[in-house]
Amino acid sequence: MTEEILRVRGLRKRFPGVVALDGVDFDLRPGEVHVLLGENGAGKSTLIKMLSGAYHPDEGQIFVDGREAAIRTAEDAQRHGVATIYQEFNLVPQLTVAENLMLGRPPRRFGIVDKKAMYRHARELLDRVGVDADPRAPLESLGIARMQMVEIAKALGLRARVLIMDEPTAVLTTSEVERLFAIVRQLKRQGVAIVFITHHLEEIAQIGDRVTVLRDGASVAEVPADTPEDELVRLMVGRSIEQQYPRERSTQGAPLLEVRNLTREGVFEDVSFEVRAGEVVGLAGLVGAGRTEVVRAIFGADPYDSGEVLVDGRPLPRGKVTAAMEAGLGLVPEDRKGQGLVLGASIRENLGLVTMRRATKAGFVDRAGQAKAAARVAEQLGVRMSGLGQEVRTLSGGNQQKVVIGKWLLADAKVLILDEPTRGIDVGAKVEIYQLINSLTAGGHAVLMISSDLPEVLGMSDRVLVMARGRLTGELSAAEATQDSVMALAVGELEETA
Amino acid sequence: MTTGTLRLRKGSAVLSENGSLLGLVVLVVALTLLSGDFLTVTNLLNVGVQAAVTAILAFGQTYVIITSGIDLSVGAVAALSAVVLAWTATSHGMAWPLATGFALIVGIACGLVNGVLITYGKLPPFIATLAMQGVARGLGLVISQGSPIALPDSVSHLGDTIGSYLPVPVIVMLVMGVITAVVLNRTYSGRAMYAIGGNEEAARLSGIKVTRQKLITYALAGGFAAVAGIVLASRLASAQPQAAAGYELDAIAAVVIGGASLSGGKGKALGTFVGALILAVLRNGLNLLSVSAFWQQVVIGVVIALAVLLDTLRRRQAR
Amino acid sequence: MQFTKPAAIAAAGAVLALGLTACNNGGSSSSGGGGGDVKLGLSVSTLNNPYFVQFRQGAEAEAKKEGVKITTTDAQNDASQQVNQVQNFASQSMKAIIINPVDSSAAAPAVKAADRSKIPVIAADRGVNGATVAQTVASDNVAGGKLAAQELGKALGGKGKVAVLQGTAGTSAANDRQKGFEEGIKAFPGIQVVAQQPADFDRTKGLDVMTNIAQAHSDITGVFAANDEMALGAIKALGAKAGKQIKIVGFDGTPDGLKAIQAGTLTADVAQQPVLLGQMAVQAAVKAAKGDKIDATVAVPVKVATKDNVAQFTNGS
Repeated sequence: MTEEILRVRGLRKRFPGVVALDGVDFDLRPGEVHVLLGENGAGKSTLIKMLSGAYHPDEGQIFVDGREAAIRTAEDAQRHGVATIYQEFNLVPQLTVAENLMLGRPPRRFGIVDKKAMYRHARELLDRVGVDADPRAPLESLGIARMQMVEIAKALGLRARVLIMDEPTAVLTTSEVERLFAIVRQLKRQGVAIVFITHHLEEIAQIGDRVTVLRDGASVAEVPADTPEDELVRLMVGRSIEQQYPRERSTQGAPLLEVRNLTREGVFEDVSFEVRAGEVVGLAGLVGAGRTEVVRAIFGADPYDSGEVLVDGRPLPRGKVTAAMEAGLGLVPEDRKGQGLVLGASIRENLGLVTMRRATKAGFVDRAGQAKAAARVAEQLGVRMSGLGQEVRTLSGGNQQKVVIGKWLLADAKVLILDEPTRGIDVGAKVEIYQLINSLTAGGHAVLMISSDLPEVLGMSDRVLVMARGRLTGELSAAEATQDSVMALAVGELEETA
Repeated sequence: MTTGTLRLRKGSAVLSENGSLLGLVVLVVALTLLSGDFLTVTNLLNVGVQAAVTAILAFGQTYVIITSGIDLSVGAVAALSAVVLAWTATSHGMAWPLATGFALIVGIACGLVNGVLITYGKLPPFIATLAMQGVARGLGLVISQGSPIALPDSVSHLGDTIGSYLPVPVIVMLVMGVITAVVLNRTYSGRAMYAIGGNEEAARLSGIKVTRQKLITYALAGGFAAVAGIVLASRLASAQPQAAAGYELDAIAAVVIGGASLSGGKGKALGTFVGALILAVLRNGLNLLSVSAFWQQVVIGVVIALAVLLDTLRRRQAR
Repeated sequence: MQFTKPAAIAAAGAVLALGLTACNNGGSSSSGGGGGDVKLGLSVSTLNNPYFVQFRQGAEAEAKKEGVKITTTDAQNDASQQVNQVQNFASQSMKAIIINPVDSSAAAPAVKAADRSKIPVIAADRGVNGATVAQTVASDNVAGGKLAAQELGKALGGKGKVAVLQGTAGTSAANDRQKGFEEGIKAFPGIQVVAQQPADFDRTKGLDVMTNIAQAHSDITGVFAANDEMALGAIKALGAKAGKQIKIVGFDGTPDGLKAIQAGTLTADVAQQPVLLGQMAVQAAVKAAKGDKIDATVAVPVKVATKDNVAQFTNGS
């Protein structure tokens, strides 16, 4: 009983129009990894924001070391030894690694920053998490995985006893995830208690000890980490999901998108493929293989040096988003918040962004018509919201993604390019998006899907293209494509040239 | 449940939209209690006339701030347009409609140059418009030789009243306000401004021609500045090269008091109008109450801070 | 290779702009035949005000007459910019420098810098605190304020309620004129000052503030505006009453102010004589450059312009 380092009882939090938390109980022991599981919007983010001092509960108590603690600010959280690693890091990219590690509290001698001590201390912290990074290097020169390690090291530097990690694996590759887990295990041995949030069910058994499942703002179950995945899914969504990848093949028609010898020097080279009506083509590869760059070039968002893009047999001009759109292309970008949505605007506004041009006569937008169309598509997509006027910022990730896809549905894009469409999205919303892909292809549309989630690529694609180092290294039919065959193509070229 | 929450949201939206309106009401009530001369038809019309130039500049500034830009040149462009109007109408004997049109074109051209520097030249709006502020102010001095130019009577009627007491500047202000509301709410460009200010990249990837829309935005701000300059000059019956110095800051303050965010994506014509009225009512009230010169600046500063603070607190509460 | 083109265009633009400015400078510096080796520097606080524009015209005309070269710069009401300009004059080996200080105290470092280079400095219109200048040429603002009070008192027949439009709070001109007016108005116990409000020497603000004062005090019969710009704004605000039911006294004697005298809307104007001020400053500078002894202070007379004598002012400028 007293061994619990953190205990939470009956937390409630209400926002205008929504009850975000509705009675959450949760506890944490030193040296354990406690997984928080729930769909987006279930209340995970609200809970960790309360533990880190960003939100205040309306009701309920938080105990640290058995004593009730008021965590009103980030400083309070730090004093209690609670550190949070968000998906968006709290780091300054322009500063050096060491400066980031000691942000706001650099070692000083006579009021002047003692750089020697700073680098020494930084080295120690980096060693503790086993990261090979130069403390003097600017943070932005590190990849995202090493930045995350720096964030962990920074938390350790603050003597964190409770480490909250919000989807730390979402942005990591398989081998990087392994490294992270090794560090997490090491921290466990040092007695650090870890709250771990993930959408990857297979990770739970690998790293977790216990699982608390949240649904609709309440904690609905606490189960051991070796609970079977379908049972976890059932607890999360309140029903069982029959099939994770419900792909229904459609009859294929003429090629809608043709890409010929597309090249952008130093980025990608000689990329050629086609996508037919009714087809889902998966574009697999490691992060950095050039997949996003290729689709952005196809869509006109970035320039390319040579090659050709045809939609419905007609060539597209280079670097013109509007021309690509008019020809029937749509892009759901990888960075949903940064490129897909106007976060401060309403659902209605965001859904209408693409069709606004078409709904304009003599400079005036038909806003009533736009609103009607937005209501229709929001209904069709099952966007969970308090109303069309709700800011998309306040929606969960899955619902945000539905809005991004929705604006292209309204535009009736013939070829929809989805870049990591389900990243950071919970199981329930994923399946809804898959079903949407099915209905699109059934209606004669074509889908090109980039995904780093191999089971998703294999489960949803009719054909899989693999990229490595800016080149297409292979094409596999649905029957040929397996984890091994795709990975071989994704890393093959890499090893050859490396 | 859904209708209930919907109503709740609507209620809080109306409140947060009218945060500045509440401030204005408080100010008006306070002044009515403190001064018997405040709440009279003539005085309120005076306030309207005194708000007109700032309000028109602020309407133009609203477009720019919604796109997350800033225009520091509007005061100087207003003065330049006024000088051009007086100069063409007197030295070149242009008929007043022609001269007015010419002044408008000058304002729009200044705005377009701002837009080109910002889009094609990739200058930060702060710098581009600061440069334009210098250029426009300087050109005004060059054209006028540093001295005020008297306006011909035909033009200065714009500063008079229709009938015995409907002041033209107030009418012009209201018309410009309605235009702004329509542009922002109904037109493609207006909606695009919100999208660009909210997330420029998302707007671009949704097919909005960001460069073209920004050019339109700054051209509008320049055009509105010209209208403000014409109103200003016609009120004085004289175009002064040094007029409207510092007005850009009043305009920005009015927009922000009106609930717009300097980080873009937010802002409304009505809010800006209320913001401009708050400033004018305040200055009028301080005169009526005979507050001393030194304290006036303190009071104005405090009220600006309070007005924006009120709005921020309201929003934070709504979170 | 790609970025050289815009860079070249930018460079060309810069050169062009400089060239234009240089031409303008050439235009404003006048040189005479004889004493071409005497070079004077003139730093004006701002050319954004007709008064100082006239001051500069007087100075340049006088320089032409004396046959000396004069270079004028505009500090744009920025005291630190003015310091830089005066330092530049010192390094250009000017024989004498005329400074029209943006700020009396802030001008001291610039004057000291010139002192070190043994260049005499003439302060014009405003004095310099904290450093010695060869001569201070200025209109007497306190005397002018007093004179304005006398004129207003006379026009009102010694009784009535008056309002004052003050200049920019904290400037010496605003303070001195106010002080002089307060002293002068004491001579008229029948006159009551009912409102004193700042309008920042600005015509638009003069209009707005006068409108507001008239709202609160509908019974005023007199107005003192601490400069002509504000007086002209007040005239606009008072409309048909200006000059008739309500007497207005201005300050500065700018061309627009004198026109208002002729029109009868402005009752009296305490005319500073900026042209004369410029002429006297240059005369002093030329003497100082030659090493002649000059007086430490010279007051440029202020005169009252009324409808009766306005012709002599308008001919002068």
